[in-house]
Amino acid sequence: MSKNRKLLPYLYLFPAILFLILFVYIPIIQNIGFSFYDWNAFSPEKIFVGLENYLQLFRDPIFYEALKNNIWYAVISIIFQVFGALVIAAILEDKLVRRFSPVFRTVYFLPVIISMTVIALLFTFFYNPDVGLLNQLLRAIGLDHLAMAWLGDSKTAMFAVIAVSQWQSIGYIAMLYIVSIQKIPNELYEAAEIDGANKIKMFFHVTVPQTKEMSFVAVIITLTGAFTVFNEPYILTGGGPGNASEVLSTYLYKTAFSKDMMGYASTIATVILAITLVVSLIQMKLFKTGKEG
Amino acid sequence: MRKRFGILLVFLVAVSALLAGCSGGQSPSEKNGEVTLKFFHRWPKDPEKSFFDNAVKEFEKQNPKIHIQTEAVLNDSYKEKIRVMLGTNNPPDIYFSWSDEFADKFVRGNKALDLTPYYKEDAKWSSQLVQSQISPFTFNGKQYGVPWTMDGKTFFYNKDIFKKLNIQPPRTWEELISVSKVLKKNHYTPIAFGSKAPWAISHYIGTLNQRLVDEKTREKDYNRATGEFKDPGYTEALEKFKELVPYFNDHPNSIDHEYARQLFTAGKAAIIYAETAEIKLVEPGIKFKLGFFDFPSIPGEKGSKDFLTGAPEGFMISAKTKHPKEAMKFLEFLTSKPMGEKLVKDVGKYSAVKETTNRTNATPEQIEAVNKILDAKEMVPWFDTDVDIEIVDAYLNGVQMMLNGQKSPKGIMKDVRKAAASLRESSQ
Repeated sequence: MSKNRKLLPYLYLFPAILFLILFVYIPIIQNIGFSFYDWNAFSPEKIFVGLENYLQLFRDPIFYEALKNNIWYAVISIIFQVFGALVIAAILEDKLVRRFSPVFRTVYFLPVIISMTVIALLFTFFYNPDVGLLNQLLRAIGLDHLAMAWLGDSKTAMFAVIAVSQWQSIGYIAMLYIVSIQKIPNELYEAAEIDGANKIKMFFHVTVPQTKEMSFVAVIITLTGAFTVFNEPYILTGGGPGNASEVLSTYLYKTAFSKDMMGYASTIATVILAITLVVSLIQMKLFKTGKEG
Repeated sequence: MRKRFGILLVFLVAVSALLAGCSGGQSPSEKNGEVTLKFFHRWPKDPEKSFFDNAVKEFEKQNPKIHIQTEAVLNDSYKEKIRVMLGTNNPPDIYFSWSDEFADKFVRGNKALDLTPYYKEDAKWSSQLVQSQISPFTFNGKQYGVPWTMDGKTFFYNKDIFKKLNIQPPRTWEELISVSKVLKKNHYTPIAFGSKAPWAISHYIGTLNQRLVDEKTREKDYNRATGEFKDPGYTEALEKFKELVPYFNDHPNSIDHEYARQLFTAGKAAIIYAETAEIKLVEPGIKFKLGFFDFPSIPGEKGSKDFLTGAPEGFMISAKTKHPKEAMKFLEFLTSKPMGEKLVKDVGKYSAVKETTNRTNATPEQIEAVNKILDAKEMVPWFDTDVDIEIVDAYLNGVQMMLNGQKSPKGIMKDVRKAAASLRESSQ
């Protein structure tokens, strides 16, 4: 009986593991295999090219453009989404605001539950150069020279797309932080107050260190999100103008499904996998832990 | 013991339920001579969707033993999905296709059935098709597709604005520029243009290339195995396009073609380069008189002025189909004269069947447009379906940047030549 007891958990886990292997791990391994071939969805045979796809990728200027955009995505998301969300969470959990905090929480969280497609379409109107809300606002307050074709200009397209993501996701991270802040023992704040710390000092010396574990989770979520982002740029700009707002996954999608270069697309996918893997490993080392404590 | 059995049972049920969810896609049943055909097109929206739904109903009524299973996804997704679906072991029997390179790709991959025998067998049917529309589906002398609609690109203009400013529709490039200048001075947007979805660029480029590069060179360059794009005409074509940029609406890169068309229908823009199939979309919304003019002649042009940019759209049959006869029967039904007339009336697209656009089902403007297509000496396919996607990509990305002032015609051609070189290499 005791032997059966030991096996039982595995029996329960078996279906989940089976599907994880079937739908996640096997495709990943297959994909790495595919990246050594030159083929498309309906070519009669696959041609083995070894590392040729990788060599081509590292010489491809669009790849670097896309990578640069992903790095911008990551940096800006860390600053606004992670740090910004922590600030918002701290304010919402402050004694003075707590009474209204349910209202604000809903307001900040609402964008998270709206479909990305809807949001992207909404923002195409928002950014429209003639009738868009943003330019109209700028003109109304006399900042005409700042009004521009946000999504049509190569210089602003990427940042306009990144801004949409910040607006959408900040509520989610803020929610995570709110949960984390509520776990901080009140005594710490009381002790800090007795020691004469003001709100800002309390934030940096109590809230920030006490939510370290959550910060780790939040940074992982935003970083991997930043390197795999697809919907926002695909719907808002399609990677254009030119390749100004191309990110790795839109480039991957175009390569695979409109250019029919499945082998090359698999190569891009493998590189994305490697990047996200390395980023998570570095973080685990830096934070020295991965457990919520 | 019983408890353990219960656990095992629950587990088995759970797994089998999950597996059942994954195992779809059985082939349609075929009993007592009944046949089910899978039909894949690109119009999940009206008016085309209802047109096809009704056509299928009508066909099934006439042929009770044939059933048609329709699936549809929109435009850009269609381009992606059809490639993947044709690569599977269970492809659709009948599928929509653009002409030329888009269709040729399927022919090269052995995904399309040779329809030449059917064209010969049923000469009564095939002779009533507009013959010029068949050749874009003809490869190596064999017919691989049935043209369903025909379409051409021409300039639409607002007759009221032209009359008010006392200007004439331009016939030469110089006149186009001078007319645009007058329009701009009078605070109209001369030409509406939206390139956020970059295919709109390719329609201009296709026509300009045809005009400025002689036909033999162009044919050689558009072939992926021999393309070089070294002729100075290509750069000149881009220079000409660049001359129009000051007369487009502001920020063409941030608006799409539909929005540009609205600028025209609202009377804010005076000219738009549009497809004849769009007349039906423009006409109901306008309060002015609609006119057309041909793409103006350019000094020193090498290509014929009697060519028209435009292409048929049609259907192909999968090489793997088990029921080619039935599939062909459906295509012949879709391209019969009554269905063609219904298409013009209900959808506003011009059927590739002779004499289907007439006074009973079309406006005088639509008839004028169809005559332009019929009078054209030859059709020049849409540039983005005529050349390899790598070349299209280099062009469209480059022109988008040119519109933002970040790239010159010479710079674009450099990228195009590079893309052409790598294509030549890979197709050897």
